[in-house]
Amino acid sequence: MMVSKEAAVSDAGKPAKRPMSPRRKRYLTAIGIAALIGGIMGAWLQIDSPGSSPASLAPLSNSPLTPGFAIGASVLWVIGLIVSLFIYHRAIDDHEERAYLWAGLAAWYTFVLSAPTWWMLHRASLAPPADAILLFAGALVVNCIVWLWLKYR
Amino acid sequence: MNNKLKVLRAMRNWSQAELADRLDVSRQAVNAIETGKYDPSLPLAFKLARLFDMPIEEIFDDGFEGGSGE
Repeated sequence: MMVSKEAAVSDAGKPAKRPMSPRRKRYLTAIGIAALIGGIMGAWLQIDSPGSSPASLAPLSNSPLTPGFAIGASVLWVIGLIVSLFIYHRAIDDHEERAYLWAGLAAWYTFVLSAPTWWMLHRASLAPPADAILLFAGALVVNCIVWLWLKYR
Repeated sequence: MNNKLKVLRAMRNWSQAELADRLDVSRQAVNAIETGKYDPSLPLAFKLARLFDMPIEEIFDDGFEGGSGE
């Protein structure tokens, strides 16, 4: 019986690749949608304000936006994120859910500690006005660090 | 909590990824359970018990030595 070279290598070498489970497919779909939303928003922002700061910093700057982009990006953010998170939460296992919940709690504590502190310092003229996006970014960074640590340590 | 997951898996020649597939969880979850960094939920513990055809208490050991007092 003739066996093709590819088949022989496949049989003798690594075991055949397992088919992707439905859970993993849902997981990758959720990540893909989130990445797509980010990509579309980033590209759209660059097209909409070509003279502004570099692409990586544009979403964090306080420069004015066109109403078209602001409405479109807001709708995309809310609807896209809800859809992505719905799929994500149906796809994750116990272990990742625990990482997600602790990361979310750590991010919330970061916000709870930093926002009122900054606001009070500003009222005493000891700090510039509180910046919502900086607070959001800080909480997000803490969220990512805790999630990665709990999932991959 | 200590467990025999790594031994039971090795006895069957399964990789972490293979066991993860059978449990429908990620490979990271299997690794975290094996290294004692994560205690599985009750449904996942039952799933493991069914997969290895053993009672949960034979797979996991909470270190409690006391008896029922009878």
